[in-house]
Amino acid sequence: MTCEEFKRVLPELGSGHGIEQEEHLRSCCACSDLVADLNAISKEARFLKGSEDPSPWVWNSIEVALRQEGLIRQPQLQHLQTPAPMLGWRLRWLVPLAATLLIVFGALIYQRGTGQPQTAQQPSPPAGVVTANLQPTDVMGGEDLQLLKTVSERSPSMRATYEADLRSVNAYIRDAEQSAHSDPNDEVAQQYLRNAYEQKAMVYEMALDRSLP
Amino acid sequence: MTDAKKQQGARLSEAEAIERAKQGDAEAFEALYNLHKRRVYSLCLRMTANTAAAEDLTQEAFLQLFRKIGTFRGESAFSTWLHRMAVNVVLMQLRKKGLPVVPLEENIETEEEAPRKEPGADDPRLAGSIDRMQLQRSIASLPPGYRMIFLLHDVEGYEHNEIAEMVGCSIGNSKSQLHKARMKLREILKTSRAEKATKP
Repeated sequence: MTCEEFKRVLPELGSGHGIEQEEHLRSCCACSDLVADLNAISKEARFLKGSEDPSPWVWNSIEVALRQEGLIRQPQLQHLQTPAPMLGWRLRWLVPLAATLLIVFGALIYQRGTGQPQTAQQPSPPAGVVTANLQPTDVMGGEDLQLLKTVSERSPSMRATYEADLRSVNAYIRDAEQSAHSDPNDEVAQQYLRNAYEQKAMVYEMALDRSLP
Repeated sequence: MTDAKKQQGARLSEAEAIERAKQGDAEAFEALYNLHKRRVYSLCLRMTANTAAAEDLTQEAFLQLFRKIGTFRGESAFSTWLHRMAVNVVLMQLRKKGLPVVPLEENIETEEEAPRKEPGADDPRLAGSIDRMQLQRSIASLPPGYRMIFLLHDVEGYEHNEIAEMVGCSIGNSKSQLHKARMKLREILKTSRAEKATKP
């Protein structure tokens, strides 16, 4: 067997070689080195499998879409009951934190959009009364429109995507607010409201990161 | 989601998670996502060499999967079903850009693709000296068609009959493209090593 003949059949050989090919490899250093190199590349490539994680934004976007499409349905209450009596207290502390995150991102966007330090800004709602005083977020607020304006200026092709994301997450917030308003002691509703605000903060963060040149 | 709930999701077996996801259970969807996100994302990242594009494709692959999860009957492995969807999503993206995915002709080898025959001293073998980062960079520089077959076979571990079904080519074409991909990588790695050796 010549080297040309060996190289012609090499793609079909896979991991096994016939007697003729084995004999050629024993007598030909060049072909033997070639096979060793190709095997080394293949072996090393296996270590590259699944070595990176996507950012948390990916799951959040998937979850928002699944909720909007009705593929995620409200779980049974028994799945979410927890034995921890302090859970409600922890959740109440986190809801104004998530709302504060939203307001901070809104201030950042306003500042970047106008280049002016923030002067007139709605004061943060006092802790503990966030759920009672929030207005329904059915329509895009000023911060949302400012965010979209910033995205349009920096990355016009992304505007439609972020507009859709904001509408989805605003609808999610609206639903969660209604649940929380109807029963402020409902810990599940409080958690959903927290998740909703966190997702909106995530959309803002992503939009600012991705749309920057 | 709290840490306790994340751990609960991890304890769900894949079969349980699939059944609960069919009922609309959010934790089950997230459990399935966490089980497979790394492999899907890595494939998309290596095909696009761009984290934003890879994340968008990952999202799209999982959304397509979750929309159809009600139709999953367990006739094939769930992971195979998912990765097939990820491959389709990537292929559609490449086709939108007008990039060739897999050449139709098995034996055409352009002058650029043919390994260069350079005179000179024998190169030592690559075995034992392949730098993993350099290998990743080299894979990113492969033509998309070669890259896809190489990733699916040597990185992800699919067989040629599975690859042929996923990308819509023959088994012979899949073997040929894999061989060409490996030959091209060998050439790139040897060139890179030679350049490093000559640098002061």
